[in-house]
Amino acid sequence: MNAQSKIEMSEPAGPSILEVRDVHKVFGGVRALNGLSLSITEGEIHCILGPNGAGKSTFFKMLMGTDTPTSGQILYKGRDITRVPAFGRARLGLSVKFQNIRVFADLTVFQNLFIPLRRHYSARQIPERVEALLAQISLAGTEHRLAKELSHGQQQWLAIAMSMAFDPEILLLDEPTAGLSVEETEKTAAIIRQLNAQKVTTIVIEHDMGFIRDLCARTSVLHYGKLFAQGSFDEIAADADVRRIYLGTL
Amino acid sequence: MQQTQSNGFVRFLRSFNGQQTLGNSRFFWCAWLVVVVLLVLLPFFGSRYQIITASNFLISSILALSLCLIWGYCGILSLGQAAFYCIGGYAYGIVAMNLIEAHGNTDLAILAGMLAPAIFAALLGFLMFYSRLKGVYVAILMLVTSLLLGLFMRQTADPSYVIGSAYLGGMNGLSPAKASDPSLPNIILGLGESVMEFDGRGREFYWLVLAVGILVYLGLRWIVNSSFGYVLVAVREDPERAETFGYDVRLVQLGVFCLSAAIAGLAGTLYTAWGTYIHPDGFSVAANILVVIWVAVGGRKDLTSVIVSTVALNWISIELSTLGEISMLVLGCILVVAMMAAPEGVVSGLGQAIGRLIRKPAATTTKINSQPPAHSFGLPKVERTP
Repeated sequence: MNAQSKIEMSEPAGPSILEVRDVHKVFGGVRALNGLSLSITEGEIHCILGPNGAGKSTFFKMLMGTDTPTSGQILYKGRDITRVPAFGRARLGLSVKFQNIRVFADLTVFQNLFIPLRRHYSARQIPERVEALLAQISLAGTEHRLAKELSHGQQQWLAIAMSMAFDPEILLLDEPTAGLSVEETEKTAAIIRQLNAQKVTTIVIEHDMGFIRDLCARTSVLHYGKLFAQGSFDEIAADADVRRIYLGTL
Repeated sequence: MQQTQSNGFVRFLRSFNGQQTLGNSRFFWCAWLVVVVLLVLLPFFGSRYQIITASNFLISSILALSLCLIWGYCGILSLGQAAFYCIGGYAYGIVAMNLIEAHGNTDLAILAGMLAPAIFAALLGFLMFYSRLKGVYVAILMLVTSLLLGLFMRQTADPSYVIGSAYLGGMNGLSPAKASDPSLPNIILGLGESVMEFDGRGREFYWLVLAVGILVYLGLRWIVNSSFGYVLVAVREDPERAETFGYDVRLVQLGVFCLSAAIAGLAGTLYTAWGTYIHPDGFSVAANILVVIWVAVGGRKDLTSVIVSTVALNWISIELSTLGEISMLVLGCILVVAMMAAPEGVVSGLGQAIGRLIRKPAATTTKINSQPPAHSFGLPKVERTP
């Protein structure tokens, strides 16, 4: 039942920007997180992997700030943010994109980007910034279209653009490839890599193994609310125990 | 120089236009101006009864606008909007009766009529929004609060319920504590000797209410079409997402809730001054639901539609009242049919249809100029799709 954790197969480089220390979360009798400790290095792409019920969604909520741990600590640049609410974390530079798309369907692409930009840019700067963001996600020229008129993939990218609009330091993406075609998935990986090149630390919660390989990311595997294994994608993919917990749930 | 001045003026006018309200065309504003002029001239051709009734309709419209703001634009259904209205009415009455002899005006009383409900909303809103209460729970809590306040006010017939020279008076409503105390005064604006009195039955009062109504309407149009209006939309459509952009959703909700309560209180103040009378029936279920009906039938997401439906429904119910008992049944049937035909609002639905008709021939000719106008943050104007 309690599989032996295999932690740190390869050492991360650089200082940590986000640190999760011994976080527990108990709902009723269920231990969704059971002493999870994890460190995210500044500037990396970090993938979180795990079978269903491993605690990924709970972990996402803890990082986002919509839920607080039963015990344990979350540190952002050395500062304890365990009790900081979601909007406070956004202001500190932690941005998220939910699994379901959640763009404002009845607003235009421009207006969708205007909402996150408004807090951080002046009215004069915004059109220029929107143009740059749209170019980055290959949606240039769609400013005046309603968000609901975009394809599923385009809405995903718009949602990513909204999350990165206000120059966050950490971007937290929950299953960014859900429901995307193969080409769209490849493009999403390219967008994330491009973001990362701009020094945005990116945490991706994902099921799609191919996508994680594309990202060449450091990967953490959660299992029963704990860190089960951590390393490069190749190390993780080759690990017999990781294969076992995945196959066990198939 | 004149060029820049006129540009500034045009920009000012445009700040009332935007995607969050219907009616942004020149045609709309011309029609609006005609209606306003007609309303201003009403006392010259209407009967006294019509003027008194029109004042009442306008007061109801202000109340409806307050609910439109919090429900339609911020997504919070407050089933206790009439409570803020009555709190405003009582606060105005109590302060006015106590200060009228010393001050000779009701300036502070009007302020109290807005501040008291706003403070009450701040306390209640803090409890509700900061404990992440939402949806139907907010609605129920608001209704229960209103009913409890009504229950309390009903049992204040005991002579001990006296605040200065105002006696709460239970079911009989607010009245003077002693025979020598002043009764509930008319609105008296101004300072010292230069004051103006507005008799609730007179045309000056009607013009005052009209002016307040126009100011509230334009003020709300300005707010919802400003860049903050988009924050409101975000909070209404997806509060969790809005929060992840750094917006303190609870604070936004609380602020709008207080503003909405203050506007409802202002309407209550005018109502109390209109009839120089306020009593606890206003806290009832019926009173609270009525406001919701005005707003829902009009279309909660548009300010203009809400005013139109409030006036229309009030007028219909007065016309029907000559039918006797059956009038409520007829009104009920009209409402059910209206809600089923257009769940998002009858008036706003019609408005959108008219807008499409007007825009259709225009669209083919103006397509070349697809650049958004430089006003309102370069936000392009969007055709509303059904």
